[in-house]
Amino acid sequence: MSTRLITLCYRKIIDANASRPWEKMVFEDTYTEFRMQAQLLNQEKKYRSFGELLHYAPGADQLHFLVSAAVRGYVQQLGGLVPDVIDNLGRHFLKFSKFQFEIINSDLLDKARHQVAINFYSEPLMWHDTIGTQLLVSEAAGVGGEILTNQLSLLPFLSIYSLQTRD
Amino acid sequence: MERKNFLKSLLVGAISTPALLSACGKESDSITPSTGGTGTGTGTSSGSCAVAPTETEGPFPTKAPASYVRSDITDGKAGHKMTAKITITNTNNSCAALAGALVDIWHCDAEGNYSEYGGSGMQSTNYTNVHFLRGRQTTDANGQVTFTSIFPGWYNGRATHIHVHVYAANGTSLKVTQIAFPEGSGSAVAAVNGYGKGLNGYTYNASDNVFSDGVTQELATVTGSTTAGFELSITFGVAA
Repeated sequence: MSTRLITLCYRKIIDANASRPWEKMVFEDTYTEFRMQAQLLNQEKKYRSFGELLHYAPGADQLHFLVSAAVRGYVQQLGGLVPDVIDNLGRHFLKFSKFQFEIINSDLLDKARHQVAINFYSEPLMWHDTIGTQLLVSEAAGVGGEILTNQLSLLPFLSIYSLQTRD
Repeated sequence: MERKNFLKSLLVGAISTPALLSACGKESDSITPSTGGTGTGTGTSSGSCAVAPTETEGPFPTKAPASYVRSDITDGKAGHKMTAKITITNTNNSCAALAGALVDIWHCDAEGNYSEYGGSGMQSTNYTNVHFLRGRQTTDANGQVTFTSIFPGWYNGRATHIHVHVYAANGTSLKVTQIAFPEGSGSAVAAVNGYGKGLNGYTYNASDNVFSDGVTQELATVTGSTTAGFELSITFGVAA
């Protein structure tokens, strides 16, 4: 029987509704960094929204990368576990070592319109079965004998990112 | 909808209410775990409810500065060591030293590449040098910041340079500029010789599209050698 190796992507959206401390810090610091870095591309102060900058200012797509420096420290504080995603026992279990920061929207004059996302890419998991609406997975490292498993539901903003089938 | 089914769906709503409340009570996720049940009205969907997080509180986040904030921006990049001392003065205050200003610098590596180029944008948590050769420091009472880096390489179309962005303490941009390097015999640019690739095709300051209008304001003093490392110093006046 073939085994399926999957990685999951969780896209965590952070906006002005952020309520928990970690999210609030990410929101505040990415907005500050966005406003600082955007000045480089907007020296005539012609544009105010991220959308305008992307459309009119050459090089504005660098802002994702430039502002990402504001979240690295916070991502490292997560201790390698994807936030929010829990197994059916109510525990965080999903390991990640790769992420991608993106600015969705922002506005130099209106903080309420600042909205960013951090995409967390999980370590590979073996997908053994689907039980009801839940995936039965285990860490890909487990080979032979008894392996410990997790059951998880695919909530909004959580998707299978890659699939690899092995015989 | 038949009356019986309607009542049933009300009942489902009532059953799933405690789960909803407990999810909210944890001042919880931006994504509230789905409680299922709504809309199907079959009475069986409560089995697909997702559980709410049930763990000891923590880890407790702490304020983390942008990863630019450091003095040594080398990030393991190979090259001749270079210390850059940048002094910021206030042209609105008789060119007195400006303390508390933020100074960003960034430059290319020995091969002429910047850290933002290439890749999918995906970053690894343990690959710390994704923002290599980029740094931010706050000026001291003498208006000075010091960075440790490597001597920049060069790429087609540009003379050797370092980008500088000076901000007020509140993040307002005060100056976007570039540092130019002395060139010719005896200069650091000649000594480094493009890290072995030579200076064939090098763009000198006089023909550089940024520096060709004159480099008196942007030309750094550079001393040292490839073995001992280089010391760069420059002063920029900003209107603060």
